[in-house]
Amino acid sequence: MTEQLEDPRETIRELQRELEETNSGLVALTLELEQRVDERTAELRQAHEELRRTNSELLQLTLELEERVAQRTEEVRRLNEELEARVRQRTAELEAANRELEAFAYSVSHDLRAPLRAIDGFSQAVLEDYAQKLDESGRSYLRRLRGASQRMARLIDDILTLSRVTRRELQRERVNLSTLVWEIAAELQRSEPAREVEFVVAPEAMVEGDRALLRQVLENLLRNAYKFTSKHPRARIEFGVQSENGEKAYFVRDDGAGFNSKYSDKLFGPFQRLHSVQEFEGTGIGLATVQRIIQRHGGRVWAEGAVEQGATFYFSF
Amino acid sequence: MNKKTILLVEDNPDDEALTLRALKKNNLLNEIVVAHDGAEALDYLFATGPYAGGKTPNGPQIVLLDLKLPKVNGLEVLRRIRADERTRRIPVVILTSSKEEQDLMRSYDLGANSYVRKPVAFEEFTEAVRQVGLYWLLLNEVPPTVSPQQVA
Repeated sequence: MTEQLEDPRETIRELQRELEETNSGLVALTLELEQRVDERTAELRQAHEELRRTNSELLQLTLELEERVAQRTEEVRRLNEELEARVRQRTAELEAANRELEAFAYSVSHDLRAPLRAIDGFSQAVLEDYAQKLDESGRSYLRRLRGASQRMARLIDDILTLSRVTRRELQRERVNLSTLVWEIAAELQRSEPAREVEFVVAPEAMVEGDRALLRQVLENLLRNAYKFTSKHPRARIEFGVQSENGEKAYFVRDDGAGFNSKYSDKLFGPFQRLHSVQEFEGTGIGLATVQRIIQRHGGRVWAEGAVEQGATFYFSF
Repeated sequence: MNKKTILLVEDNPDDEALTLRALKKNNLLNEIVVAHDGAEALDYLFATGPYAGGKTPNGPQIVLLDLKLPKVNGLEVLRRIRADERTRRIPVVILTSSKEEQDLMRSYDLGANSYVRKPVAFEEFTEAVRQVGLYWLLLNEVPPTVSPQQVA
């Protein structure tokens, strides 16, 4: 027999089988694809969900931050108000303290003087009315009593001046220091016309400051110069200006008793004295007052001197 | 001849003694009446209280007035003196320790004739009293005053 041709039905069946295979392959592929699409979709959905969540968290954060900023701003505002209230309170307290100080100073000056007057007055009364009944020792004791009470009166005056310097408000204006020096020099000359004192005054020393307080400075310095030259037959007191390192300094110089420069840092302390009362009378407040006034003007004071070779007091501001 | 009466209004006994002594030293101790507070001063001047129906023929020729007084203070006494027809011409010399600008101004505003600060040193004090006394009691002329005691 001859080779039979493949049964066409076999071919068809083969083809069918191939087709089915391909088909199922395709179906499988499709299923796979669909699955993958599902997976992707799920992933996308999740990503979207996460994004949405992040977004809402960010929004939340933004709201929180805004709230915190608002809170801080409110706190700062409140702190500011508190600070201002505290400043107002402190100012009121300081003003009250100042008023108390003024009342105290008035009381000190007024009420302390009365008993002093009695001490001085009755000592003198005893000296006058009972001089015969007293020996020289008794009279001397009474004189000491009077001296002490008068000294105390001067101390009270000086302390009051010092306290007034601190309390007073500075009234700034143009002041001619040279004119003031001449005025004070004239007063000093009148107080002791017998003395030979030469005044040398630099002209037109103009400054900006409180006239009354600056007058006090010059008075204290010039009176000191006058006092500490009183043991010499002739004296020279100079007021001048000098420039040092661009700093303008004014000075009062005398050729009197001077001071030991070892103690120069004590000079301006209140109640500090470098001479005994027997040598030169004084309360030790004059220079402290000068220093305080110059400091209130934003300046400084210093001094040079040597024993029996005069002294120079400088101030700058 | 009318004896010139001085009314001294002073609460401090030491100042009183010293003022009297100073007046005496200068032979100015005429008739001195001392009032120790404002109320006593007013009683004397207007013949009230313990001075009612008094026998003094003249009102004071001068009032030496301290400012710090108990009961009624010096400025109030001054105001009353100037407010009353019977007393308003009497010279009033304020004699005080006060250095306060205020007191000085108020005293002149209320019609004080003079304002003298009491110095601490006794010689100065005596000298002040002497000058005040000599001026107001000897040199100065005052119109006659009608004494409240005479009217009463």
